[in-house]
Amino acid sequence: MGERPGEAMSRAGGEPARRVPSLPAAVARRIGTGAVTLLLVTWVVFALCLLVPGDAVSVEGGADALGRRLPPERVAELRALYHLDESLPRQYGLWLRDVARGNLGRSFYDRRPVVEKLSERLGITLTLNLLSLALAVVLAVPLGAAAAWRPGSHVDRVAGVVTYALYAVPVFWAGLLLQLAFAARLDWLPLFGLQSPGARHLGALHGLVDQAAHLVLPVVCLSYGGLAYLSRFVRATLVESLHGDAVRAARARGLPVRRVLFFHAFRQAAVPMLTLAGFLIPGLLGGSVIVETVFALPGLGTLFVDAVFQRDVPVIMGMTLLSAAATLAGIVVADLAYAVFDPRIRRG
Amino acid sequence: MTPPGPWSAVISFLRTTVIGIAAALASGVACAPAPGPAIGDGAVRAGLYADPQTLSLLGKNDTNSEIIARLVTDSLVQYDARLELQPRLATAWETSPDGRTVTFHLRPGVRWHDGAPLTASDVVFSVEKARDPATDSKSYMSSFQNLVRIEALDPLTVAAEYATASADFLEGWALPIIPQHLAGLEPDLLSSDFARHPVGCGPFKFVRHDPGREIVLEANRDYWDGEPRIDAISFSIVPDERTAYQALLKGDLHVIGVPPDIWAEARASPEADRLARFVYYKLTVWYVAWNGNGLFADPGVRRAMVLALDRETFIENVLAGLGRPAVSTYHPDSMWANPEIVPLPYDPAEAGRLMDAAGFRDRDGDGVRERDGRPFAFTLLMPASPQEISSRMAAWLQQSVAQIGARMEIETLEWGAFQERRGAGQFDAVMSMLTFSPIPDQFELYHSSAAEGGFNFFGLSDPEVDRLLERGRESFDDRERLEIYGALQRRLFDLQPLGCLFHLATPVLHDPRLHGLEPSPIDYWRVTPGPRAWRWESVPAKP
Repeated sequence: MGERPGEAMSRAGGEPARRVPSLPAAVARRIGTGAVTLLLVTWVVFALCLLVPGDAVSVEGGADALGRRLPPERVAELRALYHLDESLPRQYGLWLRDVARGNLGRSFYDRRPVVEKLSERLGITLTLNLLSLALAVVLAVPLGAAAAWRPGSHVDRVAGVVTYALYAVPVFWAGLLLQLAFAARLDWLPLFGLQSPGARHLGALHGLVDQAAHLVLPVVCLSYGGLAYLSRFVRATLVESLHGDAVRAARARGLPVRRVLFFHAFRQAAVPMLTLAGFLIPGLLGGSVIVETVFALPGLGTLFVDAVFQRDVPVIMGMTLLSAAATLAGIVVADLAYAVFDPRIRRG
Repeated sequence: MTPPGPWSAVISFLRTTVIGIAAALASGVACAPAPGPAIGDGAVRAGLYADPQTLSLLGKNDTNSEIIARLVTDSLVQYDARLELQPRLATAWETSPDGRTVTFHLRPGVRWHDGAPLTASDVVFSVEKARDPATDSKSYMSSFQNLVRIEALDPLTVAAEYATASADFLEGWALPIIPQHLAGLEPDLLSSDFARHPVGCGPFKFVRHDPGREIVLEANRDYWDGEPRIDAISFSIVPDERTAYQALLKGDLHVIGVPPDIWAEARASPEADRLARFVYYKLTVWYVAWNGNGLFADPGVRRAMVLALDRETFIENVLAGLGRPAVSTYHPDSMWANPEIVPLPYDPAEAGRLMDAAGFRDRDGDGVRERDGRPFAFTLLMPASPQEISSRMAAWLQQSVAQIGARMEIETLEWGAFQERRGAGQFDAVMSMLTFSPIPDQFELYHSSAAEGGFNFFGLSDPEVDRLLERGRESFDDRERLEIYGALQRRLFDLQPLGCLFHLATPVLHDPRLHGLEPSPIDYWRVTPGPRAWRWESVPAKP
């Protein structure tokens, strides 16, 4: 929390500490190292995919099936179909060549284009994650602020207990309870899926309402853990800055409480919060396997896990590329935001 | 202009978030696919735990792809619930005197869903596609391995010639037939446009597929064997078993397969009282294979291991009654099963005697038998399985064999790693589930020549087993084959190369107004007549 990647950034460049890099140069360097990191990440993941025992041809079916045994030469033909007979560097080279041409290849599992598989699930995952992040932030910031204002107060302690309790609730259990209560018993909300069976014949407005209703339980499920974490985080950083010199000076000057909290304390607390935000961006694409499974939502989380079990290298690599790029983008964005919020970083 | 304070940053963040959500809604979730025809109240809504791998009707071989294929198209012959092949698109067939050539006569007047007639060239095309490695259809590649020539003699006659005659040749002809004029437009079937909008000649027509969500089929009113009695089938993809069960209770789904814990729950729950239910036994067996080159070289020791197992109690207490003790790798309800062989009883005393006879005695009183100073200790290798039952079964095996003085460790490996270790013969014992086919020929499982690269990884090499397997392949007389395979099962039972543990039942729960579901060793979807004979007693209300 205390370390600022912004400082590390200027050191990593090997520049003398005195020379202040211009913002565009810093961004360019960040993107440059980002690209190298990306290449390394894809190579490591690709190698891991192929070095573990078994491959897409051998794991298919996942059981011993007597009527499906093929002589080795036929199995070799099947493996050749997916270039699994080539050497590891060559397979990686083929994959890189395709990526450079903007082609992520076809899934070994169902032979559909990887781009298509990723994009049809990206919207679902992004929607779910953005909604639940928004819900978590909207609730966590006031909750954290209220707790931080007088540490040790009743509000603080109750908020602490509640948020820790929430953080400890397993998601699959919460999902099941929510389903039982709101979908099965009360019948207020749908049980699973993205739309009702007849929804395609509803009007635009009813269709949207139908979809929104389907999203309520998954979004609640996805956000309560983040809410607990975020509100504690907001509290911790605010408590720290409320005890800092700047805030003490502001209060000494007799500024109103709200002004001190919002303009002085929050501003100082913003830097560590941005670090967190940097990590939240890749999280938006991560997807939650449990929530997607329980509510039957085809998102990126289940796609990735299934792909790992199916040894579906093109899909694994597509997901790796997507999430690594998002992680690097998050770090770059967080770095830039530090510069905006903290003048010391801007000046080097 | 005032300098931007933190709130303006928050506001602009919220603004981008809202725009982002709107964009995501517009691009992802809200992109409802083009509306198809309305599915009426007579639709059966079934739950599937995963998307079919392909809709190409012929490629890949996962169960869900085959379910769709069997509904959308037809085959020359198809298994019925008693595992007998019934004529479908073929009305008759004859084999040449040497048994190597078979001539099929096709049913006249069958039309594809687009109106084009089915011809012999579609059959030839389908077989050629199935044999093409690019179609990735392992079971048909395997069935047609021996085929040397296939041709259309006239629009309704197909002749196929094999390198060697086989009494079980007909099994391969259950392959789904696909239309050449549509499926042949692109060289690669699986990635072709046809695989997104399959057309067949079966009892149901493909309507749409939203990946990860839903597949909709509607009744083919012009089906040659009479129109189905349900209007449509919509498959919802629901990966979570408990969610599917709740959806069934709520009426969102009409038919699902369930795991044993939910089955047990549904037996006790008053909410589930109204549901109809049945079980079926698939062509599978849970086995422990003993490595014949080590501790388990003596058939008496292998037998002792099975005698130590109280299977009836395990079935009652752990499997919720959903299992039968197994004796062999033949389906207990098939005509090929030898009815005279009964499962080994739970008899720890006899097991102890067999261990004594093999020289394993507990001389130092530590509860573990030893021979020549080495304890009877082994590791059971098993694949990591999403089925919770496998780890419970392993723990039960461990306890059971401990009672007769054997120490067992359990090692779980991911499937690929498991296969590699097993293939290399680096194991004492392995536990897994075997899927076999309806045909009696199990040459590649038990013949000594199948030890290298075949399925006989446990290293069985018995001259009598080999002789029986070879005779079974040469015979074309069902009565003689019954005798041969009956004798084979008896010999295998005496040798116990595989400890056949259980046939597990697959339970199904469904809406009580839906009738005509028929259990079979294949399942209740992929047999003839299957869903085409399902009917509603009364039409379900709209959800």
